[in-house]
Amino acid sequence: MEGMIVFTQVTGDLQDINYTTGDSWRYIPDSRIVALNSNKSEETIKVLTEGFYSACSPVISYDGQNMIFAAQKRTNDIWQIWEMNLENLKARQITFSTENCIDPAYLPGGRLVYSKFTTNKTVKSGHTLFTCNIDGSNIRQITYNPHAYFASTILQDGRILSISRQLYPDQRDGMFMVLRPDGSKEELFYQGLKGSDLHSRGWETNNGKIIFIESNNNDRKGGNIISIDYNRPLHSRVDLSSGIKGDFYAINSLQEDKLLVSYRSPDDDRYALYEFDAENKTLGQAIYKDKNYNVLEAVVVKKQERPKNLPSEVNMSVNTGILLCQDINFTDEQSEEITSSTSKAISIEVMGIDSSLGIVEVEKDGSFYLKVLADTPFRIQTMDENGQVVYGPGSWIYLRPNERRGCVGCHEDKEQVPKNRQALSTMKDPIILPTQMKEIHKNRVH
Amino acid sequence: MKTSKLIVIFGVIVVLGLLVYFPGRKLARAHVNEITAVTDHPLSCTSCHVYISQNKLISKMVNADYLSPLNMAVSNDGSKLYVVAQDINELIVVDVEKSEVLNKIKVGVHPHSVILNEDGSIAYVSNQWSDNVSVIDLAASIVVDTLKTGNGPSGLSISTNGKFLYVVNTFGSDLSVIDLATKEEKKRLTTGKDPTGTELSPDGNVLYVTSRRANFTHYGEPLICDMTLVNANTQKVIKYTPIESAHIMENIAFTPSGDLAMMTLVRPKNLIPTLQVEGGWMMNHGVGIIEQKNEGKVVQLLLDEPNAYYPDPFDIVITPDGKKAFVSSSGVDRISVISIDSIRTILAESSPEKLKNFSNNLGISSRFVIKRIATGANPKGLALSPNGKRLYVAEQLEDKIAIINTESLETIGSINLGGPIRITVARKGRRLFNNAGHTFQNQYACYTCHPDEHEDGLVYNMAGKDMGRNMTNTQSLREIGETAPFKWNGKNQTVYKQDGMRFSTVLTRTEQFSYKDLDAIVSYIMTGIKYPPNLLYNPNGELTESQLRGKVLFDRSMDNFGNNIPENNRCITCHPPPLYTNLELADVSTLATTDDPILFDIPHLNNIYSSAPYLHDGRAETLEEIWTVYGQDDKHGFVNDMTKIQLNDLVEYLKSFRGPEYENSDSSIQQASTYKSN
Repeated sequence: MEGMIVFTQVTGDLQDINYTTGDSWRYIPDSRIVALNSNKSEETIKVLTEGFYSACSPVISYDGQNMIFAAQKRTNDIWQIWEMNLENLKARQITFSTENCIDPAYLPGGRLVYSKFTTNKTVKSGHTLFTCNIDGSNIRQITYNPHAYFASTILQDGRILSISRQLYPDQRDGMFMVLRPDGSKEELFYQGLKGSDLHSRGWETNNGKIIFIESNNNDRKGGNIISIDYNRPLHSRVDLSSGIKGDFYAINSLQEDKLLVSYRSPDDDRYALYEFDAENKTLGQAIYKDKNYNVLEAVVVKKQERPKNLPSEVNMSVNTGILLCQDINFTDEQSEEITSSTSKAISIEVMGIDSSLGIVEVEKDGSFYLKVLADTPFRIQTMDENGQVVYGPGSWIYLRPNERRGCVGCHEDKEQVPKNRQALSTMKDPIILPTQMKEIHKNRVH
Repeated sequence: MKTSKLIVIFGVIVVLGLLVYFPGRKLARAHVNEITAVTDHPLSCTSCHVYISQNKLISKMVNADYLSPLNMAVSNDGSKLYVVAQDINELIVVDVEKSEVLNKIKVGVHPHSVILNEDGSIAYVSNQWSDNVSVIDLAASIVVDTLKTGNGPSGLSISTNGKFLYVVNTFGSDLSVIDLATKEEKKRLTTGKDPTGTELSPDGNVLYVTSRRANFTHYGEPLICDMTLVNANTQKVIKYTPIESAHIMENIAFTPSGDLAMMTLVRPKNLIPTLQVEGGWMMNHGVGIIEQKNEGKVVQLLLDEPNAYYPDPFDIVITPDGKKAFVSSSGVDRISVISIDSIRTILAESSPEKLKNFSNNLGISSRFVIKRIATGANPKGLALSPNGKRLYVAEQLEDKIAIINTESLETIGSINLGGPIRITVARKGRRLFNNAGHTFQNQYACYTCHPDEHEDGLVYNMAGKDMGRNMTNTQSLREIGETAPFKWNGKNQTVYKQDGMRFSTVLTRTEQFSYKDLDAIVSYIMTGIKYPPNLLYNPNGELTESQLRGKVLFDRSMDNFGNNIPENNRCITCHPPPLYTNLELADVSTLATTDDPILFDIPHLNNIYSSAPYLHDGRAETLEEIWTVYGQDDKHGFVNDMTKIQLNDLVEYLKSFRGPEYENSDSSIQQASTYKSN
């Protein structure tokens, strides 16, 4: 099937999208995956997922031999992850979950990542990322924030790029987060314009760009083509579709500077498949159109360079992670979130989901060094000598078992590297949080 | 023969084959595991028996003599390039238009830099491993004179009046001022540590000399590297300008107007626990800018980007119109192109506080870097044509010169210098060693912490178990092939293990080396890295009187009072020649309270004079301090009976140690050019 284009098709009008639950967005009922041979004079469509009630989100393996996708066998079935051999078109079920599993992506090293609906006290209720072997074994939860994670892809550096939206205590706009396949070193990759939503997976092109669709408040059924630089994602946003009327739904890389897009003109009811010239920012001719079906999420069947297979520092026999902050008073002066006074912070409160994990006085140089219960989400707020909040609480953080992380300051400029300075806190033993952990986990704090 | 008999014979052969195959394979597995100290290396005989063989014949057959162009000069009319080929000890003369080599002129050992006199008739080539400068008549293409210098000559400059040659002595950390009329060294000025690059200000008044090593500090104190400013008229040091939190300042260039001096530099994060690579937590790379007004204000700007790093910046040149600077980012095979007007804008518009933060900001490069141009392997020296329209790039590990159009910023040609076409396994290893492609987001190469395959003089917080523990003094990689085990705790019995899976988890934080790459890097480290000759303390094998007295003390078994020194407390017991290590582990009572309890791998002492600071955590600034400050309990050798003069003699003897080949061979004169270059 090399060279063929595989995409999701859905009949009729698209339903209103819910970016929080994924309904009608990552879950597309009554959808199917088809293959298009665009080389033939007359386009031929082959349905690959006969026998499934819904099937969407196709991703091709790096050797071009297989495809993974999310599907429901029958109406009201749990969504599961499936893999199809593109030679013989036989499909096999990978996950056998009691909760919905969607948005799979191939990791290097014979594993895959996917989003699974989860409800528990750490993540509250939302979609978390899981990884497993390609045969479905060795399942690992890798995210622990009260966020919804959707639409993952793998960057060439080996990290997972995922749309993440804070759900608790308040809902926030979706943003691209990046993390290692073991869940460690999660950090912000890209944040859209205020009020916008990330609408599609972010795909890395072979010329160092990440391309995706970003919607705005007025349109939740599509959006614009956005390109950012891998090298500097937070400050390189370019709207490639500026000036083009109509909506874009999904995107992928076709070849150098040529993109595959799902596009719907103002005159059309359905999304069709088009080529898009990224360099000249122009929409090409339609590759495939069907008046009855929307064409969504197209991928080309081809061999691709395998991303780096990153080593893991996670050690499941350890139940803590380490966090070092160089100076809590180092903040981004441009930030709108620096709330109160100009007072200097002298302590931090580490706040868990439902309770405080502890208040810690920082060192004179503003540094702190914590050993925190792993896989437990927390936020940090800084406080002055009167106990008044100076900044925070910040974003959710979690540490994987044995993970070691550092931050330069609190809500600092994300492009700032640490000063080459020995933090006073590193000359002491770490402060263990929650403070009662020693009692709770006797002999297990290591 | 009957079919049945054939089947029986075939069956017997198969059975015998299986009987040999399985036990044979098991034996081979055990053998490879033992030799590599890992259990997953493929059963490849060539890995050890060819690639890392110390056998001279095998080594000669599998390796090759590469040229390794390092620095260049362009003739005044722009028609010729003079290329220093470091590994074949030659100056290669190249016809630029025809892209062909015209001539090769033999110079001294391990040449470093070349400079032409004003009329372009004479070339001066610094020979780093023979402590002299070759004077070449370019019309005749012959060496007409040799000028004696200090130790390890590298960067060169000529006074405006053409009367003096300034030679930077890297190993001696000083500057030779040579009177070109008398051909004598007129004076020697102390510079910062490990200097290399030098440039005269356009008005000819001040000579700037870069340093590669930071000044010694105890761990935790800020890093300072000196820029030495010399009054070119009085030939006296004006001052040492401190460049904070930086080192490895390789080269420097002035804008034509002289308003800015710009140097390459590395900003290591050695005082921070090695928690992560993300966010520039391990190593940054950039340029320093010294404004000539504003009392010589120093600003540092990173060349790196948030998810892409440009390690090991080596050379910098500025176009005659003062608009662009080019930096060879040698660890990622790129030329970073800088808009100097953009830098001027940043300097003019930014508050001092902002400028300070820029030195740690990965986004600032987007304001002044206008392009990254891909090159061949390991771009080093740069040279501009006289009209500034062409940039020549010495691709050290490609044996080629790239030609870049400085207006279109496109590569328009390549000059093949005629090195071996075949890329040997060791050469591939050298490329890997110098390239940051095997660390997460290319943040650093092996070379970054081991410049010139040696060490950077820094102590790192490797954050093994907890932070603030187990500080580690970087060790040299020169001639370590026979000195296993490795690491201060001796836990790695082979380089295979040292650079294996754990190496990627702890240090490079990206996919581990493939076995082919691992073979290559092991091959290079085990066979291809030589010590420079110890011309400073032992040029010809004849020890000084002090060193001879020191040798007696080193070898002694009785103390000054006639008492027997326990065998395990004698220098010679743990540090026997030729490697000056018995390859064992020992407790020398230097564990810090912040160290995990370990025994130390007894280090080899060859060329120990060039490896300061000393001890596993770099606490001793000098060899003397090992005993005068940190070894007073006599557990690191019995020395406390010694007089001050005796201790000085012992230290002088230690400084005389050379590469192991000199300790074994009859030849006492050090010839560093008798090996394959890799």
